[in-house]
Parts: sequence; structure tokens; C-alpha cells
Amino acid sequence: LALRSVNSSRSAYACVFFSSMFFQHYCWTTVSQPCSKEKQFSLPCKLIIKSVLPVFRCVNVMEKNVEKCSISTNASAHHITFQLLCRHGVVKTYNLTFQECDPLQAVFAKHMCPNILKVHSRLLADVMIHFPSSQEEITLSVTPVKVCFKSYTEEDTDFSRTMLTEIQLSPEEFDYFQVGVDSEVTFCLKELRGLLAFSEAMSVPVSIHFDRCGKPIAFSTEDLLLEASFILATLCEAEEAAASPEAARCPRPCGRYGAEGALRCSGTCNHRGQAQRSSPATTGGRRELFVRAAAFSRPRGLRLKSSKSFTNNKCPNFVSQNSYLYKYCVFQFHSLFFGAVSYKKEAFGGTLQSLATASDTEEELGALHGSPV
Amino acid sequence: MRFRARIVDLACLNHFSRIINTIAKLAKTCILRLTVCKLYFILSDKVANGGASMWCELSQGNFFDEFQMEGVAAERNEIYLELVPENLSRALKTAQNAKAVKIKLTNKHCPCLRVAVELPSLSSSSRIVTHDIPVGVVPRRMWNDFREPSVPDFDVSIYLPVLKTMKSVVERMKNLSNCIVIEANLSGEMNLKIETDLVSVTTHFKDLGNPPWASEDGCQSSLQGRDLESMAEACIDIKKLQQLLAGQQVNPTKALCNIVRKRIVHFILLHEEVSLQYFIPAIA
Repeated sequence: LALRSVNSSRSAYACVFFSSMFFQHYCWTTVSQPCSKEKQFSLPCKLIIKSVLPVFRCVNVMEKNVEKCSISTNASAHHITFQLLCRHGVVKTYNLTFQECDPLQAVFAKHMCPNILKVHSRLLADVMIHFPSSQEEITLSVTPVKVCFKSYTEEDTDFSRTMLTEIQLSPEEFDYFQVGVDSEVTFCLKELRGLLAFSEAMSVPVSIHFDRCGKPIAFSTEDLLLEASFILATLCEAEEAAASPEAARCPRPCGRYGAEGALRCSGTCNHRGQAQRSSPATTGGRRELFVRAAAFSRPRGLRLKSSKSFTNNKCPNFVSQNSYLYKYCVFQFHSLFFGAVSYKKEAFGGTLQSLATASDTEEELGALHGSPV
Repeated sequence: MRFRARIVDLACLNHFSRIINTIAKLAKTCILRLTVCKLYFILSDKVANGGASMWCELSQGNFFDEFQMEGVAAERNEIYLELVPENLSRALKTAQNAKAVKIKLTNKHCPCLRVAVELPSLSSSSRIVTHDIPVGVVPRRMWNDFREPSVPDFDVSIYLPVLKTMKSVVERMKNLSNCIVIEANLSGEMNLKIETDLVSVTTHFKDLGNPPWASEDGCQSSLQGRDLESMAEACIDIKKLQQLLAGQQVNPTKALCNIVRKRIVHFILLHEEVSLQYFIPAIA
């Protein structure tokens, strides 16, 4: 089962994969479409996050009351059914309509990143606590001997009004520390807070994969049953990007993109351009940011799929809700299901119809919010 | 102009943080005055502050184990900085278990107080968190605006009731009215009153005690002959009173207020190492 989301400016992408073993019962029946040549292996669909959140609203209450949660759908009905079987025979059923959509996937070759840091989530939380909750962007700067997180500043920052914070850490504090290239990357802290809260709750290490500025940075955590990744775009300095070899590869000039996070290109088309807030996420139909020539292992690898969906109306702008989704949705799945295992196992029997995808394909419960920004 | 100071003792650091938190609740922007021996947090009674003013004084020796400053000029060896105390409060908030905190006046892009917190870490080298707090240097010609206010010629001086109790009373009254009347007499009685069209509430405190103030000629004759029962009252902005009380995290050694009938209420809160005076003018 995969949950994916992207923010409205396409500068942050999150996905969480659940192995089928995360669930007590996981069943998928492929449905062959009459008109397509091959069987449909996955049911990519999107839901509005605001609709899903109320289902999993209060973790504490749920842990006490909910015995089982079932998620089911069949392709003909255009809704996904969330059923919470609670104590005292109370059953809450939520039918959420979904829209089919093209798959939303990012490709990011983590193993190609020269810089890899692995650190316990507690440390990251201790670092981020020094920044005000309103801090939007922070800069991570690494050399082989030093790691530094600092508030992001640009030339026209009003220093007389802004308080700047900087935290220096030694490489020894990291469980794994590899710096292949000195770099300074700036990303949006707000987008990351969801993953930080989640990994701290799970108490797992967080891996950070990144490269030079302008290239995305990935924060990921995993354990036996699930894997969560947040891939964030980073700001890039125009001069550096212009000098980078990839600039030459950009086949055509890219113009403005989208309402928010407009990508402006500097003279020599360097598809990264001068990103303002967000970045080089996607350019007119092509997912440049995430394209890397590499093979990926299934199913965990983030695959390349040419996705036209972002330029058509099917995938409208979204409001960034990832952090809420993962804070509420994923975490609660986690605790719910483990809670359920300890209860007496009753056969689901006929109460469930065809469910989510099997483990070697993915159903995309890409949760996207459809309101205009 | 130079300033650098260091705190290594955790108790001193916590105490200093608490003071900063109190100041931050009272003023959005204030003046920090540094002299060789003392630090002062000053809020002058400009209209922008709603007429309230504050004077907080602490001896640096009680907090810092290192303290060096060089003022603007030799004959006035002082520095006046304008800053947002909330920033300082925030910088110190996460320094709860710091090994050391250093504060330095720097001027990189603009004048700043650089607070460097050295935190323990799992590795051999410490974690260093640096906060650059922008400050404004107050020119000498404006220093006269920030002189120590004199104790007003009050009608009644009385010790305050337990601040926690007073705080909860005032907080509830805040929901009902914008101004509160404080009245007290020289018999140790104090009333807090609010009155609106719909409701009036009065809380009575007694046996509070009146602090002895030596008058200028060394005797208290001016107080004799005054009616000990008559109340002196002033109506003040309840929010300001609530901010003052909410900011008190520790019970002061002495807490009292001086009331000038219908003019001003002067609060004095004394702790061992710090004194805080807060003036709230009466609403006409």
C-alpha cells in the first residue's frame, strides 16, 4: 500500500510504503478492464486529505476504542470504505469517493547521492527545536569535518529584524556520516516537520541523502514493515547551476510553471533556473528533479513514470498537507494495526471485498487535496 | 563598545532565563542598559506602551561568571541597547542543560547580541547553538529618556496578596471587563473590583500588611493623622496587570504596590538578585 503526496508548489514529495505484512489481512484481486490489453495491476486513486483525516482524528481515543480498521474498495464503486470497528459493537463506516488519477511518483536515486547522513530521530528533533516553529527554510551545510544547520538568509534579508540561529554538530554524532562533496543545501523545514514527528514517534533513525544545492534532499526512515520518505527540493544558486554540466542537457527552455513556486529560467536554460521558494521540482510535464538514470529495485524503489498528470487538470494544485497526513494518518495506522493483532483474530470472511494491491504492485492511495490554492 | 559575558552555572542560567521570560511578557521591545556592575531592563512610559513603564535591575555578579564591558565613552561607561526580549527568551529556552552560555555584542551585518549555547552531546565535542539577536544601539543623546523612575508620592502602600491567588482572580476578571480597580488602605486591606453594566465583582483581601516607608525627614509623622481606613483607588488596564502577574514564575521575596489615587499604581517585586518595578497609569 502506498500513500503519496506532493505539495502545491511541487517542492516536496512524500511517500510511505506499507508492506502487506503491516496489515493483519491484505488481499488484492486484480480486475481486468474490458478494454485494456493487460490486467490492471494497481488502482491509483486520489483522495482529498481533508476527508481522510477525520477518520483518524484522535490517536489516543482510537487506541482505546478501535479494535480493527478495515480499508476496502472495489473498482466499480468509486469509493474507498474505511471501517472502524470499535468496542461495544460500534462500527463507524466512512465512504470516501476517490478519483482515479495517473500515478504520482518521484524518482530519486538515493544511492547516487554523495552525501549520506544517518542519525537518530531524537538528535534531529533536538536540532530542530532550536529553530522557531515559524522558521520556513533552513540551510544544511556539510564538510567532512563539520555539520551545520542554520536559518536561511538571502541577500535581501533584513538582518536588523531577523533572529538567526545556527547549530554546529560534529560528525561523530551521526550513526553514519559520508560527505563526498562539500555542500550547502537549503530546504523547507516546515515540510519536513511531519516526518520528524513521525520518526521520533517510531524512534527510528533518519537517513538524509543529498548532493549539491539545487538537487533534492531526501529524508527517509524505515523499519521492517514500512518505509517513509520525504523528498524536498532545495534552493539553488543560479551561478552554480549555470556552471553545472546538466545545464547543457536541458533540451528546451522552460518557462513559468504553475501559479506557485514559479520557476524562472535564467538565460542559458538551465532547467533548475532560479528557484524562488520551491524548486526545480517539475518542469512542464517532465519530472526533471527526480530523474536519474538508474535501475531501481521493486517495489521499494521510486520508479520513473512519465506523468503528464501535472500539466492537465486531473491533478490540480494541492495544499501541502503531508505533514498532517503522516502525523495523523500513518501513525495511527501503525498503532491501530498493532493493537488489532493483539485482539482475538476473527476471520474477516466475507465482510471485505477486494482490497488493496498486493505487495508487488502498488495501490496508490495518493492523498491529494483538491482545492484551489 | 564591547560586551561579553558568560554563564556557566545552571541555576544562574535558569534564574536568568526566568527573568528574561518575565520581561518578555511585559514588553515587546525594551532597553537593555549595561553597566560594569548591573544590567537594567527598561521600558519607558511612552504612549505606545499604553503608558506603562518598567524598571528591572539585576547585579551581574549574581549570574555571570565572566562579564566585561566597555561603554560608549570613558566617563559614561554604559551601553544602551534596544532589543526584543522575546528573542532572548527564545534563545535561552533551549539552553536548559547547557554547559555554558556566552553572550557577546557583535556587528556582522548589523549590531547583534550573539548568544552561544554550548550543549552536551554524545560525542567528544559539544554542540554549539548560536543565536544572533538583532539589537539597536541607543545613542547617548537619548539616554535621558531612560532614567530610573522615582517612587511616586503615594497615598497607600500595601503588600500584595499571594501572587498566584491574585493572578487567578485577575484572569477571571479579565473576561468580564477591560479595566480593574485596585484599592487599598493603610490597614492592610485591598480590594480588586470590576464593574460593568451587567455585573460587578469585588474580591477582598485583608491582613496584607503595609510596608514601612521611611520618609525624608527620617520619621513617619506624615502618615499619622491619615485615615487608616480610607481607600485609595485607581482604575487600571486589566491586561497590563494580568501580564505582570502572569510573568511571575517564582514567588518574590517581597511584593508590594503603591497607589496614587486615580493616577498610577506602582508595583515593586523584589527577589534576592533582581528587583522589578512596574508602573501602570490609571485610566482617566
